[in-house]
Amino acid sequence: MALFDRFLFAFTIASHIILVSLSIAVIVIISIAEFLSLRRSDRYYSALSKRLSKAFVVIFGIGTASGVVMAVELVTLFPTFMTLVSETGAISIFYTEIFAFFLETIALVMYIYYADYFSKYTHWVLSIIIAAGAMLSAVLITMLNAWMNTPDGFNESAFVQSGKVTGLNIWAPFVTTSTLAEVAHVLPTVLFAGVMLVGGYFAWRNIKSKDIEEKKMLAKGLQIAASLGIITIVLAILSGINEITTLLKLQPLKYSAIELNPTPGTNLPEKLFGSLKNGKFYGGIPIPHLQSFLVQIETGIKTLPGLSQFPSSNWPPLYVHTTFDIMFIGGFALGFCFLAYFIDWVVLRRKPHESKLFLYSWIPLAFVALVIMELGWVTDEVGRQPWIVYNVMTSQQAANYSSSFLIPGILIIAFYFILLPLTFYFFSRVFNSSSMSEEEEHKQKSAISMGVNY
Amino acid sequence: MNIIFETYFAVFAIFASLLITEIMGSIVLLLFWKQANSKVLEYIVPIWEVTGTFAAFLVVMGDFAYPSLLVPIASIFAPLLTVFLILFVARNASLAFAEFIIKRKWLDKVKLYKVYAVSTLVLGFTVLILLSALVSGAGVNFAMGTFSLGAWVSSPGSLLFVVGTLLIGIGFAPVFFSLNPMKNIVLPLTAAGVGFSVLAYYLYSPSFVSALMFIPAALILLVGVLFVISKKTAAIVSNKAIFITFLSVIIFSLQFLVYPSAIGGAVSVDAVTTSGPMTTAYLSITAVGGTILAIMLGFYMNIAMRSKNTTPKSQLK
Repeated sequence: MALFDRFLFAFTIASHIILVSLSIAVIVIISIAEFLSLRRSDRYYSALSKRLSKAFVVIFGIGTASGVVMAVELVTLFPTFMTLVSETGAISIFYTEIFAFFLETIALVMYIYYADYFSKYTHWVLSIIIAAGAMLSAVLITMLNAWMNTPDGFNESAFVQSGKVTGLNIWAPFVTTSTLAEVAHVLPTVLFAGVMLVGGYFAWRNIKSKDIEEKKMLAKGLQIAASLGIITIVLAILSGINEITTLLKLQPLKYSAIELNPTPGTNLPEKLFGSLKNGKFYGGIPIPHLQSFLVQIETGIKTLPGLSQFPSSNWPPLYVHTTFDIMFIGGFALGFCFLAYFIDWVVLRRKPHESKLFLYSWIPLAFVALVIMELGWVTDEVGRQPWIVYNVMTSQQAANYSSSFLIPGILIIAFYFILLPLTFYFFSRVFNSSSMSEEEEHKQKSAISMGVNY
Repeated sequence: MNIIFETYFAVFAIFASLLITEIMGSIVLLLFWKQANSKVLEYIVPIWEVTGTFAAFLVVMGDFAYPSLLVPIASIFAPLLTVFLILFVARNASLAFAEFIIKRKWLDKVKLYKVYAVSTLVLGFTVLILLSALVSGAGVNFAMGTFSLGAWVSSPGSLLFVVGTLLIGIGFAPVFFSLNPMKNIVLPLTAAGVGFSVLAYYLYSPSFVSALMFIPAALILLVGVLFVISKKTAAIVSNKAIFITFLSVIIFSLQFLVYPSAIGGAVSVDAVTTSGPMTTAYLSITAVGGTILAIMLGFYMNIAMRSKNTTPKSQLK
């Protein structure tokens, strides 16, 4: 059952993070488009922000429900883990996240349904509050994950021995040793993946559409997405390098598994793909000395850790090396694509977002970005195994062994398989429910224009 | 007095009130779509996201407040909670899809809103089963960590509890949505609902039916009376903010059903409540977050009220 619990939660969270990244990206794009429409009195940006706002409700509605599914699953699938979280300050992070979520929700309700009752700039400020609430939620959840990687705020060794929580410091989980590095990496990565997906959708619509006005609007949307893409990919790469060195210092076993170092040593090669057999590396491409060289530049550390330093029963599945490599190579490849785009746009002063090559290439790159984000999460979570809370509680100890969750769990998986495609379908349908000209002719009538008798 | 329990129950009362108003709306949508859909949707469409967020709030607050209950709750109610989750996602999805959709082929707003109404109604049943089990322990084998729906149904009081609550909900619907033509059903249905509910509690345990039961019963009947006696009082009690506040007070006054002991006496609430430094964390975050939330809700209510009394700027141009 523990295996099923882990699979079910992994499946749910893998689905949920797609919705989260889309939500964050869409609201950031809405906010920028609305600002540009106000500053430049540009009807294309105005139409873009209005149409995206309606579609945002779809993503937000499903994302909210999916978030509740995860909150309940955490209790039902990993009750022992949640008991530890609830007995330590870690629950405070989770709890604070709810208020960030409220900030997002209530601002959204006013932004969408009572738009006509605000001045233009106040309305735009509401979009910033929604975006801030969404990002704060993501930051807080990442902080909880950082606490799982580097637990703090209670006496861990006493807990391992007695199972009792002592030595509480209720605020320490907010700022563990890995928090800053993890938040700094997750936030741009999630935003990048979402921006790529939205950009991919704009590109696809642009290719399909025959309406010149529509194409202009979508091209402006792509400009925003590409600008955000450039900024976030740079931040993601820089913070990713920092994350690796943080890992080396705080979770050397995870680092050894990711780098596939069988033994500790100096002058270690960087290994691309491949695997270990009887302690020997085979099937991949070793680049001599590169791993040690890069680490030494970054941290000054000469001797790197290896798997042999740790009991094999504590090793994570070594496929995290492959997931990490795909993420790493994919991230850099995307970085080079955006560098080319940047040179074309800013240095050569062309309009790459209107070229066919750009439109056609964005669509597969959006999927690459999504895969990279998912693999980054897999590397982080699987790389921590067998621990759910590093060196404190294993996933086996945390899981619910009741078989009563098997059938309902299968139902949830089946439900998500229907729900996710439906969400994207409705997102698209709502986004395309009006054309540029219709958007201008019929100002969006809010559903509650008659007023509720509060 | 257990301050953690009180704050938790207060949030529960608000969540339950919001959910009940949605259930009432769902019943009206299913039975009287043509006559009442605009009145119901103008309320539900903006509020559903807030109800959903309160659901998440309640879950996480529960994790914080009752850590030692998580393992037994996970074991006992996992299947029921899963059904709740699926319905909750279906509710959110259908409503989010319905809001801005334009008719194409067979799929239109009406069908999606009806899917929402059915999901919310069944979700309401699930919550009622869960609540009655938490109150009475019906269907729960605490030692084995299991819940049996069959045992819950056969427990005296369970079905009466559901019927009683539903009757109160249907009776309240004309009040909340100002459906004056249905005025005559308000008092008989709420009175019958109160009667069935009191009987259900008595069957669960005679100790539930004490002087404390008089407060919620009287408040429920008062709503009905105020709605029918004059137009002035009807307007006051039909005001959404007043009604939800009043309903929250009624639900809050039912706390004696689960305090000091819950699940039919199997759990002492004080014994499972978080303690020590965690109380400080809980109370400080609740105070700060709760204040921000109250300000935001106040702002929202203000805007919603202005939307009734003023013309949108776009229409003035």
